[in-house]
Parts: sequence; structure tokens; C-alpha cells
Amino acid sequence: MTPPRIAVFGLGNVLLGDDAVGPFVIELLRAGYELPENVAVADLGTPGLGLPAYLSEADAVVLVDAVAATGEPGEVRLYRRADLHRVPPKPRVSPHDPAVQEALALVEFAGSGPRDLLLVGIIPEHSTLGAGLSERARRACQPAIDAVLCELARLGAPATPRRELQPPNIWWAAH
Amino acid sequence: MARITIDPITRIEGHLRIDAVVDGGRVQKAWASCTMWRGIETILRGRDPREAWFFTQRFCGVCTTVHAIASVRAVEDALSLEVPLNAQYIRNLILIAHALHDHIVHFYHLSALDWVDVTTIPQADPTKTAAVGESLSDWPGNSDKQMKAVQAKVNGLLQSGQLGIFANGYWGHPAMKLSPEVNLLALSHYLQALEFQRKANQIVGILGGKTPHIQNVAVGGVMNAINLNSLATLNMDRLYMMKDLFDEVIPFVQQVYFPDACAIAGFYPEWFDIGAGVNNYLSVPDLPTDVASTAFDLPGGTIFDGKLAGVRRISGQRDEYFRKGVVEDVTHAWYKGRGPQPPWQGETIPDYTDFQDDGKYSWVKAPRFEGKAMQVGPLSSILVGYALEHELTRKWTDLALARVSAIAKRPITVDQMQSTMGRYLARAIRAVVLSELALRHWGLLVSNIQKGDATVFNPPTFPKDAVEGVGFHEAPRGTLSHWVVAKDGVIANYQAVVPTTWNASPRDEQGTPGPYEAALLKNPVANPEKPLELLRTVHSFDPCMACACHTLDVEGRTIATVKVL
Repeated sequence: MTPPRIAVFGLGNVLLGDDAVGPFVIELLRAGYELPENVAVADLGTPGLGLPAYLSEADAVVLVDAVAATGEPGEVRLYRRADLHRVPPKPRVSPHDPAVQEALALVEFAGSGPRDLLLVGIIPEHSTLGAGLSERARRACQPAIDAVLCELARLGAPATPRRELQPPNIWWAAH
Repeated sequence: MARITIDPITRIEGHLRIDAVVDGGRVQKAWASCTMWRGIETILRGRDPREAWFFTQRFCGVCTTVHAIASVRAVEDALSLEVPLNAQYIRNLILIAHALHDHIVHFYHLSALDWVDVTTIPQADPTKTAAVGESLSDWPGNSDKQMKAVQAKVNGLLQSGQLGIFANGYWGHPAMKLSPEVNLLALSHYLQALEFQRKANQIVGILGGKTPHIQNVAVGGVMNAINLNSLATLNMDRLYMMKDLFDEVIPFVQQVYFPDACAIAGFYPEWFDIGAGVNNYLSVPDLPTDVASTAFDLPGGTIFDGKLAGVRRISGQRDEYFRKGVVEDVTHAWYKGRGPQPPWQGETIPDYTDFQDDGKYSWVKAPRFEGKAMQVGPLSSILVGYALEHELTRKWTDLALARVSAIAKRPITVDQMQSTMGRYLARAIRAVVLSELALRHWGLLVSNIQKGDATVFNPPTFPKDAVEGVGFHEAPRGTLSHWVVAKDGVIANYQAVVPTTWNASPRDEQGTPGPYEAALLKNPVANPEKPLELLRTVHSFDPCMACACHTLDVEGRTIATVKVL
């Protein structure tokens, strides 16, 4: 039996403060852990309506993204498929508008969606241009990584901490 | 009288907001506003110009490649650096594949459901639907059996009461006019389109190393190592893998997307009389075929007052007509300063007020060309190409208009393309033109490599003195230009004048509205609570707020609010 194709995708704009928290978690994950071969990790940025192409290529998907939810900045929230379906997609104005619910509904309707889906959401403090990650979003990264690790273990593809630490490649924050 | 505000995410900045005052069933006044500071360029000051593209492709998550390529072109222009032929062709293939992906997504996944009423599909006759499909093209995906399968899926969804992907439509709206059969056909293509947008994206991945953020461009060329005998480089296998993907995507564009766009245009001919707006057009030449970027496969130029006969060509990045023509005005934008400024001297100092109807109301600056508001996008590119007698543009435009006229049972002319429907049709024409050019550029690349040329890169050197450059690209949404000032190997100033800045621009010093604002005037609105007609016109431009904030809304909020005045 071939192992399931698992994908961990970070979403968000790295130039916009806490909106970068998804890509940030992805780089921390890459630097700190060795992942099984059937686990792909990518920073997808803000693909909008381009997202269905990525969702349809995996059996299980873990998304890490900043979420607008009622709560304190830095809180980590977990959402399963049913939680996302509770939010109806809205008429969209541009291809940019966040498209997670819509992309998921689209690939499901087409019959090609992932069987498993987890969204690890982090409530941002600010999404201001070039401001870097807020202290609260930074503190949320480890709990978010833990949630990803837990999901990978549940899917039968546990990650192992690297023996030798590598510096994370947060290229957008370096000057 | 009512005021409609369409604002996708009201509590979070970063989106396009449209306000329209409606009276007597028509829009009387409109405003386009971007709700987020667009000063992203300031991040680039002090950085190495060779790295700028890595940041600029993060301006926008949908148009990543276009900002990468415009950026390296700007720095190359500042240094008068030539680009090896292989690099030009590789970049052109990336641009074409990205554009095909983007146009397919726009037509099917962003805007088709503005015209296609999914809830009528249970009434469709699948056999008749297949016949309609066969009358439009030879596409093998239009069989009776396939139509039945799609209809069954839709029936299941509608019966479940969980509309899923279709929960957001303005169903049953009086402006929806297609027959159940045409709706079923369009929806089956909407599903098939998913596969072809993915394949187009894979082409970008083969050349760019990764998607959505490509890794292979560089100031001076590209970083794809070419060695036909090595597995790790761009070899024959990879070149043919790319061609196989093009061979799948191209028939979809020519036999599905193009005929569908013509059919929808033919069934809604009244939309050729709506939404003209600003009738000055700007496009730039693209797909360079020489190392100095002076010869192009797609022409560019300007048209003023909708008069195609007065077209003026833009010859290339060095053309002073373009370099001196572009200015940005901040009178109605939340920035300090007044009056028009050329981008190289452009400043981005925020001056936020609040939404003031007659004052400042947007984070988008107002770009102007020789003082005029300009429309950019596929319509501009097609009108300019048509006026300049560009052969491929003429061929496909004439074919499109003949098809549309036959379905509409009335003649639709190239001049009537200056409208909401014209923008949809022009995008499909541009896609078929690009689909023909895809294989030409693939052939140019392969034959150049076979001649023994493996050069992909000319190393840049930076002078101590300040140098200015502009890099442009005719992107899927229209003319994009990056303007750079570099001094002693460091970026001193950087401005990106993006397509949506032209189209979503606010009023200028003279009070002249931008293209969105002008195109919305006189738009019909049957029901202000369901402003479908406004979305049709706004979507016709394919809006793209560069640097849009992405934060995902997990609680659900309404997008359109209506206030009775």
C-alpha cells in the first residue's frame, strides 16, 4: 500500500506582519524536524483561487494560517472540515480574497479533495506592512507547531526532531 | 435612492471596497477604494537590487511570477544589461503558462457563476446539453454521459440543502438568462477547468523550480542550468514534459474556454452596451524575442477616447513615450503630497483621513498617462493589437466577433468591445492568442538550445552613481511596471505601478474618476440587496489588490450592505 500523500501548507503574506505566521511556522517546522518522505511542506503565500490545485494533490492536508476569529491575538484555534463548512463562502470580489473554504468546497464537489483536513489558525495581533511578527504571534508558533506534529502523528507520519538544529530560513525578516 | 457598499471583509483591512449610489435602478455615482496601505515598496529601500524580485513576488500571492519578472527587467533596464535568448524564452514560457492559468481561473472560478445559474441545472436535458456542446466545438468532454454525471452531482447538492461551493450565488436573479442546458454545459466546464488550471501551474513549476513562488529568475537572466544530457538540469525530458502539458492545456483554451466565452457573450449581448467607463487604453509590448528586448511577439500602445484609428505604438522599455508618460496622483489617496509625480520620484507617505466621498478615500494612488486616466487589461491589449494590425489578435478577434454575432443574432463590432462583456471576451481572445504563442516560444527555446547555446545569465555590475530603470510586463490584469532607482548597488527608490492601480484608481486632481468608478456609472441594479450586476462589471476587470491581506475569516460576515439614503 502506498502511504498517503500528506501536505502541510503555510498560508499568508510574509510582508504583512502577523499574516506571515503561517509561512513562519512552516520555516520553523522545516528547520527543527525531519519529516517522512510522504509529507510535503510548502509556504504557499496567498494563492487565493489558485489553492484548489494544491488541495487536490494530497490525501491529507494541514493548513497553517492567520484567522479572523473572536478571541485574543496569539490564540491557536483548530478547525476541521465541518467547522469550515459552517462558514458559507461569500460572493467574491477578487481572486485574492482568502479562498480556503471555497477551495475546499470546490475540490470536494469535483471529487478530488483531501480525505483529512486540519486548519491550525492563529489569531493575529496586527497585519501591518513590514511590521514583522508580533510578540503574541511569535509565542503562538510553538503551540501551532505542536498541533501540526500531533496531526502528523495521528496520520501515521510522525516527525522527528532534528539532531542538529538548523537556523530557520526567515529570509523576509533579515536585512 | 440607496447606497451599496461591497466590502469583502469589513473588519480587516486589505481589500477592494466598492461604493455605489443607486437611483432609478441605475448607478449614479461610484467609488473604488483599497482599504490597505499600498506602501509595500518601502520595504525594498536599502536592499540589494538583485534580491528585489524575491520580495516583489510576495506583493501578491496570485500574480507572483509577474512581479518577479517585472522586477528583474527594471534592474536590467537600469544597468542596460542584455538578457540571453534562452532566458527570454524561459521567462516568456513562464509568463504564458501563468497567464493561461490565471485567465482560466478568472473565467470559470471567479466569474462564470455571475452569469450561470446553477439552480436551473436540474431542469436541463443532458442530451440537448451535449448537442449544444457539440455545436460549439469538437471538445471530447461534452458527451451525454458526462453531462448526466454533472447534473446528478448538482442535483445531489441542491437536494442536500448544503449548497457548499454554490452557497454564495445570487440564484434566481432576474439578470440570469441562460437556458438550463447552457448552465449545465458551463458548469461541467467549470469542473473540468480545475484540472487544466493545475496543469498550467505545473508548467510554471517545471521552469520556475517551485510554485507559486518561482526560484529561477535572476537579474541578467535565469538560473536554469541547461544541459540536454544531465538529469538535474533543463534537459530534453523536462522540455517534453512541459510540451505535453501545453498540449493538454491548449485544446482546453481553444475548444472550451474560447467558445464558452463567445457563447456567454452571445447570450448576453446587452452587456456590450454597459460598463464602457474610461475609454483610454494602455498596454505594453511583451514576449521579447531578442537579447536587447526591442522585438516583441505582442505589441503595446495607447488608444485615447476609444478611437482605434489613433493608436500609438510603445516600442519597448526604452520608449520615452512610456517612460515620461506615467505619473501618479495622490489628491484622493491617503498619501501626503499633491499633484502628479513620476514613479522614480514617487513617495509613499501615509496620510489617513477616513472615507471622504469628496476628499481622500483610498490607499490606491491614481496613475495617469499624459494626464489621462487609462484602462489596462486584456481589453487594452486586444484593442491596441487589433488597431496595430497584429495578425494573431486580428485572427482571433474576428473569429470571436463572428461567433458572438451569430449567437446574439445581431452584429457585435470591435468598437462594442469597449464594455463589460468586451472585457470578458478580450480575456478569452488573449488566452487563445497566448495559447498559439506558447508552442512557438517552446520551439524557439528548443531550437536555440539545440544550436549549442546554453547561456542563461549575464552577470550584472552596479555603478556608484544612481541609475534609473523601468521594467514592464503585460500581465494577465494588464500593464505592470516596476520603477527602480539604484545607487552603489543598493535600492534608493522603488515603485510598482500595478494593473489594479490603474483600473481601481480613485479620482485625480481634476476629479476624473478611475476605470472601475467610470464603468459602474449607469450600471443597472435590479435589486440593491443582490448587486449581481455590479459584481459583473467589477469582475470584468479581474480585480487584484496587490498586497492584499489574506487573513481568513472563519466566522462568516456579510459582504454587501445597503443603506437607504
